[in-house]
Amino acid sequence: MSSDDGTVDVSEYSDVWVFVEVHDGDVMTVSWELLNEASNLAEKLGEDLVALVIGEDCDDVADEAIARGADRVLVADDPVFEPYRADPYGEQFRALVEERKPAIVLIGGTHTGRDFAGRVAVPSHAGLTADCTEIDVDEDGLLQARRPAFGGNVLASILCEEHRPQMATIRAGVFPAAEPDESRTGEVEHVDVVVEEDDTITEVRERVVGEMADITEADRIVAVGGGVDGDLKPAKRLADALDAELAASRKAVDEGWIEGSRQVGQTGKTVRPDLYVAVGISGAVQHVEGMNDSEVVVAVNDDPNAPIFEHADYGIVGDLFEVCPDLAERIEREGLTEVEQ
Amino acid sequence: MTDEITIVVGVKQVPDDDEVRIDPDTGRLDRASAPAVMNRPDRNALEAALALRDQTGGEVLAITMGPPTATDVLEEAVAVGCDDAALITDRKFAGSDTWPTSLTLAAAADALGADVVVAGEETTDSSTGQVPPGIAAHLGWAQLTYVEELEPELDDGKLVARRDVEGGHEVVAADLPVVVAVAYGENEPRAAPLHRKLYAENEFEPMELTADDLGLDEDEVGMDASPTSVGGMETVDPVEREREVIESIDDLVTALEDEEVTV
Repeated sequence: MSSDDGTVDVSEYSDVWVFVEVHDGDVMTVSWELLNEASNLAEKLGEDLVALVIGEDCDDVADEAIARGADRVLVADDPVFEPYRADPYGEQFRALVEERKPAIVLIGGTHTGRDFAGRVAVPSHAGLTADCTEIDVDEDGLLQARRPAFGGNVLASILCEEHRPQMATIRAGVFPAAEPDESRTGEVEHVDVVVEEDDTITEVRERVVGEMADITEADRIVAVGGGVDGDLKPAKRLADALDAELAASRKAVDEGWIEGSRQVGQTGKTVRPDLYVAVGISGAVQHVEGMNDSEVVVAVNDDPNAPIFEHADYGIVGDLFEVCPDLAERIEREGLTEVEQ
Repeated sequence: MTDEITIVVGVKQVPDDDEVRIDPDTGRLDRASAPAVMNRPDRNALEAALALRDQTGGEVLAITMGPPTATDVLEEAVAVGCDDAALITDRKFAGSDTWPTSLTLAAAADALGADVVVAGEETTDSSTGQVPPGIAAHLGWAQLTYVEELEPELDDGKLVARRDVEGGHEVVAADLPVVVAVAYGENEPRAAPLHRKLYAENEFEPMELTADDLGLDEDEVGMDASPTSVGGMETVDPVEREREVIESIDDLVTALEDEEVTV
């Protein structure tokens, strides 16, 4: 166990690192979102934006990171890193931090990102802020990691003054992804791999990953909550009629009615569609936080006191099993046409 | 490896977030009246720990870090079946962020001779999910997070978990000792039998562990050892919504068309 107080000479630390989460060659979109936002921080600090790629056969990913804005890429390429495991990733990261001394490290708030961040922050005695929705650097070059606190409408700025690196996990969907620019150039460096398979204490026996829904890109969303009671048909039909993506509250995900990649809100994703239809969602603060940037919000709930109505533009108090099919049927029959003003 | 294992399960007392609402006019959270309850994901951790003991034998010890009033959640843990429980309490722990919190819990797990530490995936009051991986990192143990199912393979000194990952799942075998964070809602927590409830409420007293008991120095724990601090709070203006009650499908269609939603 560590025993010193972990404070460091912060002036020895520089550069902004983004952990590029890659599984079997596929990069999680949130990594490109971070690269985009982190480029602003690096520019303000006058430091390099560095992509950290850990995996196997990831030269293409390294090149893509350059195209999407990284000044440099550090690649730890070895079969021991595929698939992801906390212990080899953690050991490699610790070695890199000790050697390279990054000032800031940003990690996507996925299950893998959170599993990784929680582990690697400890040996470096780093400051780690979870689930940030805004990041900035202040006039002293200190990272301001902002996260919703006490429900949605307060942002707490978390600082890490005497420890390095300053780490944060960032919620998916908050920032636009960096677009690739193939004309960009940068340096790709393969670093020494410090982990051996014999030293690992975990083994991935099976990994099954299907299509991942990306609700953060959707223009329209129909989201289901506990009120649907396991029956997604009415909401699905409405989503089809509206040409919308299906999403969900945490309750619906925890009940196993719908996959976790469609969860909106705290520990899920932030969405900002033109239209958000909340079906049978009570409107807990943790959910509202993830959908409050939607342009127009419609709520359907049979409880007139449900908090969701306070966060909706249009509310229908009624049985979703009647309202959804009725509305879907009407749209299927007559469509929705813009009114001449 | 002996057949029986010691399972330490971490629980936390938090404000009941079901009772907490945003005041739509001020945008502030009304949490003053929220009662203190056991963090809900910890119920799944308790169930996973007890179910593991049912398979392997051994004992389940609940721990919590907090003021003496947090004894309530230890009583609940003992009522549902934990063999014993420890309150980790010391003024020196005040102001801990996740780094010293996981150090303190790691030291407690070590002191109690844990082979497996089980926790909920995150707490509802701060929702970082950092403490279980933090405990594992402090101890140099394997970690299994977002766990849906557990299967012991004690003959080989392993615990096997099915984990939830983005878009699917994976099956991971970890060498003991190991820290497990159970995915919220993944199991059906058992109810407390009446005799256990009576025992927990009337007779049971938790062990108490202080920083000294755990061999932790003052500068290793609490605010002094916390890398992060809260720099400020900023109120975000509440999003203005129409909050219009719609009576019929026709009216809703009109409203959507007015908002230029077309199909």
